[in-house]
Amino acid sequence: MKVALAQISSVLGNVDKNLKRHLELIDQAINQKADLIIFPELSLTGYTLKDLVAEVALNPGGSSVFQELLEASKKIDLVFGLVEERESNPGIFYNSAVYLSEGEISHIHQKVFLPTSGMFEEGRFFGSGREFRSFKTRFGPVGLMVCRDLLHYCSSYCLLADGAQLLITISAAPGRDLSDPESQGFETSRMWELMGEAISFFSSSVVIYCNRVGIEDGATFAGGSFIYSPLGKLIVKLPYLEEAFVVQEIDLDEVRRARKSWPFKRDDRPEVIWHSLDRIIRKEDED
Amino acid sequence: MKINACLVAKVLTNFIREEIHKAGFDRVILGLSGGLDSTVCAYLAVQALGSGKVLGLVMPYKDFDAEGVGHAEKVAGILKIKWQKIDISPQIDAYFSAFPTESPLLKGNKIARERMSILYDFSAREKAIILGTSNKTELLIGYGTIHGDMACGINPMGDLYKTQVRELGRYLKIPEEILTKKPTAGLWPSQADEEEIGLAYEELDSILYCLVDLRQPVEEVIRAGLEESKVRRIIEMIKKSEFKRKMPPIAKISNRTVGHDFLYPYDWDK
Repeated sequence: MKVALAQISSVLGNVDKNLKRHLELIDQAINQKADLIIFPELSLTGYTLKDLVAEVALNPGGSSVFQELLEASKKIDLVFGLVEERESNPGIFYNSAVYLSEGEISHIHQKVFLPTSGMFEEGRFFGSGREFRSFKTRFGPVGLMVCRDLLHYCSSYCLLADGAQLLITISAAPGRDLSDPESQGFETSRMWELMGEAISFFSSSVVIYCNRVGIEDGATFAGGSFIYSPLGKLIVKLPYLEEAFVVQEIDLDEVRRARKSWPFKRDDRPEVIWHSLDRIIRKEDED
Repeated sequence: MKINACLVAKVLTNFIREEIHKAGFDRVILGLSGGLDSTVCAYLAVQALGSGKVLGLVMPYKDFDAEGVGHAEKVAGILKIKWQKIDISPQIDAYFSAFPTESPLLKGNKIARERMSILYDFSAREKAIILGTSNKTELLIGYGTIHGDMACGINPMGDLYKTQVRELGRYLKIPEEILTKKPTAGLWPSQADEEEIGLAYEELDSILYCLVDLRQPVEEVIRAGLEESKVRRIIEMIKKSEFKRKMPPIAKISNRTVGHDFLYPYDWDK
């Protein structure tokens, strides 16, 4: 399959302008025969929203913006980020990743781990998602994560246990720490790459990470999107700090080959983890 | 405390380019003192926008810092930027002849605010946003005049300690004499930052780095070999100057109050 990574910046709080940009890049991806295009976290809205969260929220069932993207998904599968407000749950906003395919919503993942410390204040504005669930696509089972989700290793474990073979993380990770004289990017980028590499190897899955670039209120988003093969090999890495668009061929049979050589998935024991967690949680309750 | 100067320059030039455009400008203006900070800032601005988009104002008071004025003119010449010298002595002297004082601090603050006032006036005339030149050291210990040299449209260097600004200056190849001269706020003759603060910048920055970046408790900083009285004095300076780093508190009456829970980004719709 061919995957397009759109490492872009967004206009903060202007869904119409961002939709236009999405549609342009979707056309570009279709022209280059991509099967799937991936945008960064909150790609339709920008990241540093604060009180704008309520003003840019979209209802997946009812918005015209969503209709346009559903229409586009008849030609190419799409993953993008938005502020989600469901009709059934008004006034509660989620930082969500959406997978659209063939004019339908395949899955919406609501970000579970909302960074709320230091420079981050997502927990102040968003509700947190309550599950990780893999879902079927025409390329096999996929798991979605949003940014910080990837850094909690339980997230990708749950998706692996649920059968995912392709792990997609959309991200708006600001860069911090420019202390290494040899580095081409922020030190925090190294953290994402290490996590992506390790998870791809231990989950024997394709790991795709699409991060944004640009500057919002002084913070620079780091870029450096990447794809790792199920054997922990770097397939493609986009530049740091600059907008980039790439269409990359991925060999999905590599999942099978990886799982034959390294049967982590076969030998996995979710029930052991379940029992252990059950005991740990009960113990916490008693303490 | 080391920085990757090449990458820092790239991030800061991106910052200048992107944030001024978001604010609706394509030009910047800054006060040139001939010192390290404004020189490095001018070099970054030219790298980001080109010489034609950078305006420098040199604003001497009498001959308080003649060497600085010479250096500022040299920097403007090297960078080929448009610049102007405005002698602020008449208005400062007129004010203090009406309200005399012997306090160098009062005089210094007035001078800094006069420069700010001229920069904002020229900012509007020239449609150029003001680049702030305060560094992280100054901001943290409050070594600057509120609504004076701390006032600006955007500040590219506020997250770099003084010693890191010097490292960046070395990378940007600013004139050697500016890189190595004794730092001065230039608010009275022969003023020297390090004498006034009572600490060398190297020592000051390493204490700030431990306290602020590493968030070490005081005891830990002292155990690492830094002098207790100095560490405690710096903490007091940080505490006392918090008001310079914030908008003033607003009395809360309603459910939604500016500065409390009316929260929008600077780059709203940009």
